[in-house]
Amino acid sequence: MRRVAITGIGAINALGHDAATTWNAMREGRSAIGPIVNIPTELLGVRIAAEVRGYDPLAHFDAKRLVLLDRVSQFALIAAREAIAQSGLEFRASGFGERTACIIGTGIGGENSHNEQSSRFYGDRNPRVHPLAIVRVMANAPACHVGMEFGLTGPSFAVVSACASANHALAQAFEMVRSGKVDFALTGGSEACITVPTIKAWEAMRVTADDTCRPFCRQRRGMVLGEGAGIFVLEDYERARARGATILAEFAGAGMSADAGDIVLPSNAGAAKAIAAALADARLPADGVDYINAHGTGTPANDPTESKAIRRVFGSHADRLAVSSTKSMHGHALGAAGAIELVAAIGALREGVVPPTANFIDADPDCDLDYVPNVARDMPVRAVLSNSFAFGGLNAVVAITRA
Amino acid sequence: MGSVQETIFGIISKEAGIDIGKISLDSTLKDLEIQSLDAVQIIFEIEDQFKITLPDRDPNFDTESVKGLVDAVERLVAEKTAAAPPAQS
Repeated sequence: MRRVAITGIGAINALGHDAATTWNAMREGRSAIGPIVNIPTELLGVRIAAEVRGYDPLAHFDAKRLVLLDRVSQFALIAAREAIAQSGLEFRASGFGERTACIIGTGIGGENSHNEQSSRFYGDRNPRVHPLAIVRVMANAPACHVGMEFGLTGPSFAVVSACASANHALAQAFEMVRSGKVDFALTGGSEACITVPTIKAWEAMRVTADDTCRPFCRQRRGMVLGEGAGIFVLEDYERARARGATILAEFAGAGMSADAGDIVLPSNAGAAKAIAAALADARLPADGVDYINAHGTGTPANDPTESKAIRRVFGSHADRLAVSSTKSMHGHALGAAGAIELVAAIGALREGVVPPTANFIDADPDCDLDYVPNVARDMPVRAVLSNSFAFGGLNAVVAITRA
Repeated sequence: MGSVQETIFGIISKEAGIDIGKISLDSTLKDLEIQSLDAVQIIFEIEDQFKITLPDRDPNFDTESVKGLVDAVERLVAEKTAAAPPAQS
């Protein structure tokens, strides 16, 4: 089987509009969670989120094109452009587009367009629905638009698994490059889920915090919604080396599992199964891992369960692992979460700096690992795992190692 | 038995699928073995029925026990009635 290189990285989220700005903010432990500014808040109980702020779609797309693009597709395109520019690949000119997969996760899809059309229809009693509503709302739109812009004609589709969508997409793209089915893949996740009805729905579940996101600490009150995209270029490792590409990291393995238990309550056995599968797939010994970018939503249920799962797989090495949740800074971007978090994983690996869990106050006896509270840590990082666990009990973990 | 209490007992029984006879004011949702997803549905149904909003994790409100829920609803309904303009005859 081939080895797989990551040769391009792109991101847009509350911390920044590109991957470098995002990573710098993560290193600084700067949280981008704040009062909601992009949508009306008078009907909301929870009025904080990690929004993409200062974003002007017209700076990236002309008006004619924008009619086709829900915010979720805009984010995917912006991150894909950055990733491809960094990889140095010219998919159309080289003809490589024919050997390229485009697999992008999203939890919801075109939520802003859906909300806008529903609001016209039910709220304004306007019987005319926009003729491009369907193509804006569909969950595969981000993958389609990235493929169309760059001429990618290999396997192309969306992956949907709520909060694990990006990691499931990454895993699928990784398998395709590793097996030789394709030579390149554009992959990651995108989400633009901050609308009034979505926030109301999260509020009703009573799992969202009204102060900020404080994963793993005693004062945590829940998750905070985020949005954005992370897109990566994966490539046959030997080919990347031969063309002199900068290899950001090796995509070493992926592990997936389903709890087949409760629709919301996580199981540490299910999470542990995916973590162990990722290690085995990457042929990594447990003590070869230095950092885990946790799912770490900051809910009462996730954090102790995830901590138990990590302990279950790593045994005594769990006490030597750095484990942090960058959701404390960029919020929970649902189907883009794993992709934005891969920016943290790659940064940690390349620079030997583990980003912290921000907003951490006091330790919780039920969460007994080293969560790198509030301040980034300089330490050698040989391999990183990045966890994503979704509602429905769907777990996906990716493993990356130094190039 | 007040009507608020009757309504709440009814909602708990229906949403959690438990016999209404097993519910008492002294029960906590935990005693009744009500899972978290059922609990949020119970709270939603109560809010929807009484047109009130039960605070989330507010130390002044006990939403973990049946008596706490009944007290909270009675208090919020009374506050709402007091705040509403007098009815026109």
